[in-house]
Amino acid sequence: MARMKFLCDSDRCIECNACVTACKNENEVPWGINRRRVVTIGDGKPGERSISMACMHCTDAPCAAVCPVVCFYTTADAIVLHDKDLCIGCGYCFYACPFGAPQYPRVGNFGGRGKMDKCTYCAGGPQQDNSAVEYMQYGSNRIAEGKLPLCAEMCSTKALLAGDGEIIASIYKERVQRRGYGSGAWGWRTAYREELPA
Amino acid sequence: MLIKRSDGRAARQRLVSAYQGLSGGGMDRRSFLRQAGLGGAGLAALGGFGAGRAQASGAATGMLDHTKPVRLVKNICTHCSVGCTVTAEVQNGVWVGQEPSWASPINRGTHCAKGAAVRELVHGDRRLKYPMKLVGGEWRRIGWDQAIEEIGAKLLEVRQKAGPDSVFWLGSAKFTNEAAYLYRKLGAFWGTNSVDHQARICHSTTVAGVANTWGYGAQTNSYNDIRNARTMIIMGGNPAEAHPVSLQHVLSGKEVNRANLIVIDPRFTRTAAHATEYVRLRPGTDIPVIWGMLWHIFQNGWEDREFIRQRVYGMDEIRKEVAKWTPEEVQRVTGVPGEQLKRVAQMFATQKPSTLIWCMGATQKTVGTANVRAYSVLLLATGNVGASGTGANIFRGHTNVQGATDLGLDVTTLPGYYGLDENAWRHWARVWGVDYEYLLGRFGSKALMEMPGIPTTRWFDATLMPGEREKTAADGEAYVAQPHSLKAMMVFGHGGNTVTRIPESLKGLEKLELLVVADPHPTTFSQISNRRDGTYLLPICTSFEMDGSRTASNRSLQWGAKVVEPIFESRNDYDVIYALTQRLGFADRMFSGIEVKDGRVAPESILREMNRGLWSVGYTGQSPERLKLHMEHQDKFDLVTLRGREGTPVAHDYYGLPWPCWGTPEMKHPGSHILYNTNLHVKDGGGTFRARFGVERNGQTLLAEGSWSKGSEIEDGYPEFTVAVLKRLGWFDELTADEKASLDRHFGANIDRAAWSTDLSGGIIRVAMEHGCSPFGNAKARAVAWNLPDPVPVHREPIYTVRPDLVAQYPTLPDRRGFRMPHLGQSVQARSATVVRDFPIVLTSGRLVEYEGGGEETRSNKWLAELQQDMFVEINTTDAAERGVRDGGWVWVSGPENGSRVRVKALVTDRVAKGVAFMPFHFGGFFQGEDRRKFYPPGTDPIVLGESVNTVTTYGYDPVTFMQETKVTLCQIRSA
Amino acid sequence: MRRILLRAAFALALLAGPAMAQTAPVPQPLGDRGQPDAAELEMRALLRGEPIHGRISIPDAKAANLIQPEGREWRAFHNRTLAWVGGIAVLGMLGLLALFFLVRGRIRLGEGWSGRTLLRFNLLERANHWMVASCFIILALSGLNLTFGRHLLLPLTGPEAFTAISAAGKLAHNFLAFPFTLGLVLMLLLWVRDNIPDRTDVTWVKAGGGFLSGHHPKAGRFNAGQKMVFWITVLGGGLVAASGYVLIFPFTVVDIAGQQLAHIVHSLLAVLMIAAMLAHIYIGSLGMEGAFAAMGSGRVDYNWAKEHHALWVEEELARARQQVVPPPGAKAAGAD
Repeated sequence: MARMKFLCDSDRCIECNACVTACKNENEVPWGINRRRVVTIGDGKPGERSISMACMHCTDAPCAAVCPVVCFYTTADAIVLHDKDLCIGCGYCFYACPFGAPQYPRVGNFGGRGKMDKCTYCAGGPQQDNSAVEYMQYGSNRIAEGKLPLCAEMCSTKALLAGDGEIIASIYKERVQRRGYGSGAWGWRTAYREELPA
Repeated sequence: MLIKRSDGRAARQRLVSAYQGLSGGGMDRRSFLRQAGLGGAGLAALGGFGAGRAQASGAATGMLDHTKPVRLVKNICTHCSVGCTVTAEVQNGVWVGQEPSWASPINRGTHCAKGAAVRELVHGDRRLKYPMKLVGGEWRRIGWDQAIEEIGAKLLEVRQKAGPDSVFWLGSAKFTNEAAYLYRKLGAFWGTNSVDHQARICHSTTVAGVANTWGYGAQTNSYNDIRNARTMIIMGGNPAEAHPVSLQHVLSGKEVNRANLIVIDPRFTRTAAHATEYVRLRPGTDIPVIWGMLWHIFQNGWEDREFIRQRVYGMDEIRKEVAKWTPEEVQRVTGVPGEQLKRVAQMFATQKPSTLIWCMGATQKTVGTANVRAYSVLLLATGNVGASGTGANIFRGHTNVQGATDLGLDVTTLPGYYGLDENAWRHWARVWGVDYEYLLGRFGSKALMEMPGIPTTRWFDATLMPGEREKTAADGEAYVAQPHSLKAMMVFGHGGNTVTRIPESLKGLEKLELLVVADPHPTTFSQISNRRDGTYLLPICTSFEMDGSRTASNRSLQWGAKVVEPIFESRNDYDVIYALTQRLGFADRMFSGIEVKDGRVAPESILREMNRGLWSVGYTGQSPERLKLHMEHQDKFDLVTLRGREGTPVAHDYYGLPWPCWGTPEMKHPGSHILYNTNLHVKDGGGTFRARFGVERNGQTLLAEGSWSKGSEIEDGYPEFTVAVLKRLGWFDELTADEKASLDRHFGANIDRAAWSTDLSGGIIRVAMEHGCSPFGNAKARAVAWNLPDPVPVHREPIYTVRPDLVAQYPTLPDRRGFRMPHLGQSVQARSATVVRDFPIVLTSGRLVEYEGGGEETRSNKWLAELQQDMFVEINTTDAAERGVRDGGWVWVSGPENGSRVRVKALVTDRVAKGVAFMPFHFGGFFQGEDRRKFYPPGTDPIVLGESVNTVTTYGYDPVTFMQETKVTLCQIRSA
Repeated sequence: MRRILLRAAFALALLAGPAMAQTAPVPQPLGDRGQPDAAELEMRALLRGEPIHGRISIPDAKAANLIQPEGREWRAFHNRTLAWVGGIAVLGMLGLLALFFLVRGRIRLGEGWSGRTLLRFNLLERANHWMVASCFIILALSGLNLTFGRHLLLPLTGPEAFTAISAAGKLAHNFLAFPFTLGLVLMLLLWVRDNIPDRTDVTWVKAGGGFLSGHHPKAGRFNAGQKMVFWITVLGGGLVAASGYVLIFPFTVVDIAGQQLAHIVHSLLAVLMIAAMLAHIYIGSLGMEGAFAAMGSGRVDYNWAKEHHALWVEEELARARQQVVPPPGAKAAGAD
């Protein structure tokens, strides 16, 4: 089966926030909950890059590992979802998640965070696919319709890629080869501290 | 909503074992559900509960019912002029979702933050829901009939007292082409040329400057064509925030071609972050930079001599001016190092094809027209016009500002850039089926009929200053050259916080006898002044709630289909204009050629009338049928060439039939993707430079020499086509009998003077094309525009300059008059030396990706408003440290006029250089520290309010178009 | 000499630099070729174990962290370290206690009951102790549930019931924290005087508390073991409470790293405290005859008191004698 992943090509991301509002639109995400956000590193300086971040649907999900009530599950497409009816809003998933994906509807004083909400890869939740109650609790289920998450579909520069991990990795590799530079993190630069000829 | 528990019934049905081994281990969703024992029965019960609630709130929440069919409707995003297709999912007359529009070659399914959030605009929590009237400072709801009646009566009263020129008709780039055309027509039938829209504050200088160089003032290529470029300079533009989807094409080009992407900007913008080379310059010094580049180009012989010889007039005078701009002088004035500029110049001139992209940074200056002319000259000198990957890629702003400009919402012209002289009026009288004398009679006088009107940027000056019949000797030059000052203002779709000098505009607002704001939102006009009466708000709907065409920046026309009926009591622009003109008494004449049924106007019939009249820009071949066909077959167009594929219903057409689309729709001209392209036959979208400025000057020919479009039977330059020219060429008898009859009917004895642009039959154009000739002639582009205040662009320091030491050498223009009003220049600039002591920081303004224009609509959209909740000023880290300002702290930014100041948050960053500050212009609702939220009609105040940057911006206007100088002025910043 | 000249030249160059900059700022040519891009910046930060931080436009400051790698460390702590420490501490303590009981049995009174009692803890002290104790038990159970419940309890109850139990437990845990803390403070005020370590504690510890030898070393009101329990309770409990408050008011005083640290402190100390309290509960109930009465009725048998807290008995008697003044000629009654 496919392993669904996200990849944000920081060479293309311009922080247009289409991914953010597309998610809000498609899932009617309330004010204050940011399933997806764009972070700009080195803002205003040369080398500035923006990256769109949401749940990364980890293969070995830390959130699932620490959840006291085991409300997480991984679908056959490797999408990490959770059951809000089981969530007790303890906040552990946020402590464990390296990406800050879990969101809570309330501030969290006295432990009253409410039910955790996060990016669902537009795959809804444990309720029946495309039912009204699934939408109300989790938002849209595009995966069940054979579509991909709307954030990646609407990314203005096609920086945010979503789909099977192999396929998007090869798309990104193609781009890197075409550009002749960039992606130093997983290439020569980090290993050998060398420049690629442009 | 998202924290609700589901009904307990389903929960109980799940088996204990379902959860074993779930953490970390994969489980197929289907098998999970099966194991959990969720059967159809249980869920149906649950579904009954859920679905019932869903339906009740479906309209509110936009929840899509997957068991029922969904209708997909294509419209065009109403925000910027890239023209992304929006695909709406509609159920039960409610807009429930958006899908990516994969088929569109322009956006290919993508959007920016605004486009991905447009559904909320029509859900319209905070929209104006019904007409409102301000009575004693309170907003009262009224009905449409009463509103139209009262407004119409008051307008006629004002007309009676003060003449038709006392009403200012402010239109909008929000209009569809059809609505823009109607609005201009309304102005003409009313009897005034004071009809304007956002282009005034946006690209008015572009249109004037570029048109005065080579014929049309529009983007010469397209967003898609940028993929062919080898070198791109973005100078005075930040498309990463203003036109995000355009970056899809720009960055693809950069990757595929290993192209040079050079950004020249005072700020290190989001666009500059993706540049291969970033050049920082002092705001307001664009011409020295361009001339500095040309200095290197001429010095090293990198110019395209053949192109210049064949297709450019007056380059020698440019050389003389450029010679003054040595690298040292350039660095002294602009701050750009010589080595860097030489590198950039070499890339642009030798690593071709090269294109120059610009937006507001070039245009919003007192030298805006000169700026864009310099840009155009650079393109001409390097031969970068008229081929793919080249050109002036002018990124227009608001959704249909291109269309509204083309359709004449401009105080200097009738639709189609015909101008205001008698020939122009006679042409339109013919098209509209009325007598020229009738139209003449609507005006105060023939002189006023042919005089450009009052522009948007200074309507309040025209309100505050007396008219000719009102002035006294004491007023001196401070009067408006029309009988009376402005007494009434009709605003359709324009914000009140986007024009400079807000404190002055408040006085104007308070003096108006009548203010009518027609808009989906109340706009800042509704709250910013202390008006207590005589103000009406009319809810007109967005372009998603009506049919109509809109023209994207690349001149492609796209037909947007109505997604849902206008919400609440809003009405579409056409019907409102019809109702108003009925009350004003000329609806019958104005709509004689347009289909109206029960007060509902058919937009297709408006487009057909446009097709009958807009010969000069080639808006004649884009019939409703052809446009709708293009929308239906969007996926058949090539991504880079925009050409329809063989064997499809749209074969050979260019997407959206970009104007000029010559001739009648039956002639099936494909539109012109790339302007002035001599590599193609005219029938295939090729063209030449327009012969607009005469045939000869100072003994030199103005016609092209040795250059012609492919297949042209005249293998040299030629003037624009008239009947006389046809006769001289012996082609007159190729006109059909009908065409000749039409010419006879309209021109009679003057038939020889009938031109390609005034021939209503289209015959002259047809014959010219048959012979491979451009109907508008084949001329040279003008590097020298002798009719402009600066025929050769020269550097002039901004009115409020941070370098008073340069004013002596590079002064602005002397005080003069323009657009019926005094236009100050040197007298204001002379103050710079003292002003700069108290206001040492250069203030520039610009866009944010989350908001659009005045921002009332986007700040009312909860999905967008959440992303930018505070108005701010970007201040350099050193400047901040000197003032004790920390990131996120409050500051007062004060301007040099009217003691103005605004209280905003500080964003401390090195994005702006020391001595430069930036503020976005999208905010409104606060005025000099005062929260004005309660003055909005209840329930319509935008979610996010903030100070408007134009509270502190200043006097300063381009002489050709009265464009405002929002990109460079002075300010001081102090910790609050 | 040359050095001086060089230095002077250098200084001059420095002076010249800014002077030139004032008339015409020299911006540096910038571009993205040859610059490290974000992926590389990220990797470098990650290799140093730092969070990657950027700028965002929304108000939630936490969102500006692009990646916080410490999340993985915290997960490892929660799933492995804490589980081992907690498991060993609790189960180990239970095991030790069981072993002790099997080997030593219940500690009986040496000389039998005297039939006379003296007041050891008054109503306030007992009420407070029981409030703290019952809070502690619920806090302990609900807390352990958050770490171990999914392995031990969930398979027995099923997910819905387990969520209900855990949610109720979490609620109880968060609110009982307040009376618990209050009680700790009161405990501190009531008993700190008697829990200051002194020389007798050294002797008592050296004698192993007399648990195995059968010979009781002298002790005051509280022996060294009890003093340890007191300080564990008050200090450990105090830290657990303090870190707990950080946890129930998340991100008000610290960022994510601080929250994680608070949890580590809270959970480690808590499981260790649970282990200590198990021992305390054992010895106060099953483990020693006559001990429970101290907190039960508040009155302990005189013989029991002489055996286990001889010094305290002496003090009490001395105080009693000072307060009770016999009529002249009266003689002391009974056993002295």
